[in-house]
Amino acid sequence: MFVNGILLLNHTNRIVIIATGSSTCAFLYDSTATDGINGSSVTSKANKKTQVSRTELITKSMQEFVSKEEEASKESSQIQYSNISGSLSMALCYIQRVLRGPLPHPQARILCLQGSPDAPYQYISVMNSIFSAQRNGVVIDACVVGSQHSAFLQQATHITGGIYMKPPQPDGLFEYLMMVFTTDLFSRQFLQLPRPVGVDFRASCFCHKKTIDMGFVCSVCLSIFCKHHQTCSTCGATFSRSNSTTVTGMKRKAPGS
Amino acid sequence: MSRECCALMWRSNSASTVSVCPPWRGLVFSAASSAAEMDLRPSRMGIVVDCVEAFVREFFDQNPLSHLGVILLKDGIAHQLTDLSGSPETHIRALRSNMESTGDASIQNGLDLARGYLTQIPSYGHREVLLVYSALSTIDPGDVMETVQECKKANIRCSVVGLSAEIYICKLLCEQTGGMYSVATNEGHLKELIMEHAPPPAAQAEMSVASLVRMGFPQRGAEDAVALCACHREVKMGGGYTCPRCKARVCELPTQCHICGLTLVSSPHLARSYHHLFPVSPFEEVENLASANGRQSLSKSCYGCLQELPTPGGKVKGVRLECPRCRQHFCFDCDNYIHESLHNCPGCESNSVILSQLSQ
Repeated sequence: MFVNGILLLNHTNRIVIIATGSSTCAFLYDSTATDGINGSSVTSKANKKTQVSRTELITKSMQEFVSKEEEASKESSQIQYSNISGSLSMALCYIQRVLRGPLPHPQARILCLQGSPDAPYQYISVMNSIFSAQRNGVVIDACVVGSQHSAFLQQATHITGGIYMKPPQPDGLFEYLMMVFTTDLFSRQFLQLPRPVGVDFRASCFCHKKTIDMGFVCSVCLSIFCKHHQTCSTCGATFSRSNSTTVTGMKRKAPGS
Repeated sequence: MSRECCALMWRSNSASTVSVCPPWRGLVFSAASSAAEMDLRPSRMGIVVDCVEAFVREFFDQNPLSHLGVILLKDGIAHQLTDLSGSPETHIRALRSNMESTGDASIQNGLDLARGYLTQIPSYGHREVLLVYSALSTIDPGDVMETVQECKKANIRCSVVGLSAEIYICKLLCEQTGGMYSVATNEGHLKELIMEHAPPPAAQAEMSVASLVRMGFPQRGAEDAVALCACHREVKMGGGYTCPRCKARVCELPTQCHICGLTLVSSPHLARSYHHLFPVSPFEEVENLASANGRQSLSKSCYGCLQELPTPGGKVKGVRLECPRCRQHFCFDCDNYIHESLHNCPGCESNSVILSQLSQ
């Protein structure tokens, strides 16, 4: 329904849906493709039947994807994270293809609907995607339907200028999607949209992948560590105890600083 | 009398072979009378300020933890326009409001002032000076050769972009300190030459001293939080960052906490350079489509953008590229985009087996 809503707003709107699973990512639907993603053809020409076919197409692709995922993750009993960096990269590649095409170019936006927690090992890849999106003027919006906030998506929306929202009542998801995320970038300045609650800019340390708010940074390669190390695991630089400095180089009298 | 504008920009950059360490650079700008010449449209000063503004933005984009300061050479004296700081807007505002050019330029005074500031920075930083010089001479109080030797001793790498002609003293300065000297022939060339100095230079191993710097990663406050900020000493509404050590509020990052002195950065600032550490392996062209067909069924479209790829006997022309790790196929444009801008292979990122190997 949400997809139909967006496509109805303007005849030049186009949508691509990418699904993210714990073992893989895939394109589910492309509104500009005359046949489906998997090559199945839509032969019906009547308007009503076309609309039904779109919903059927999306549902069918999603069901195939979910069954593949279920098979792949049967053996694993760990917490499943979603490979959001994979789908963000695929989305950005697709947007680049559209921007290479003929004018007029659409305003590109990415809406991330996330239910699983962030994968800490994907920090660098997600940040790479965010910076590439920022450079190309692509806005990333986020709607988090899981139980916890997502620090990655908070940073993504803050850096690219998008909207971050965690709906307090997930049952009304369709209404949140239509009211908040359908508007184009120009019209957003005239609307009262959800304000950011604050962005979690903490980093993950390279050694344990846990989130820290104070740490040590190697001056050669900028890797982050939670405690003092003898050598940097990324670039191999060696540090001695006396090398750890603050910028001013002043000795601090307070303990534990 | 011709008016001259030299912008001396100083930058200090600490860099390994991939040059990701914070730079501190000085930009020395000569605003002497030769800058009002009209041979470069609209005037030398105008075109230099435009190029320098673009340079400042690109510089902070490529070197997120860097500091830049601007010095103006006017009337034979060096004036400090902005202090070493990490905010591009401060420098651009100051440049736009000081566009008059008078008097003569003095390289010695400019370099002495820049050196005075750059020697205060810590050892892991790289020190650089970029001098944009439009004059044909320099009026110095003492021996400029001594200043050149002092800069060399202080490990300051000086580069010059000239606007009029090649000058011997600039050439000597660059040769002695290991910098680059170039002279612009037209407006486009000038912009190219200045922008060449934005990416961090490759560093020599012996010059970079490794140290672990303690840094804090503050949280950004909610939009309705009201607090007293430590930098301006005023009450501020919304936004702002809280120092994790002393809980003081600062307005922008990166900065040093005004109360406890902890360097505060946001993780995106550091993460901007991580793509140098973990680059994407170059893709290989799939040469023989017919033989590759036997190994696996060839995908009809590019994994990244769904564009049609060439198949044996098909009508589509082009190249098909394969990632050596995940074995997915991509088109030429995606390959370009992935290696130039994105720095992530979509195939590797979507494959949980590869991801678990990488995270160990």
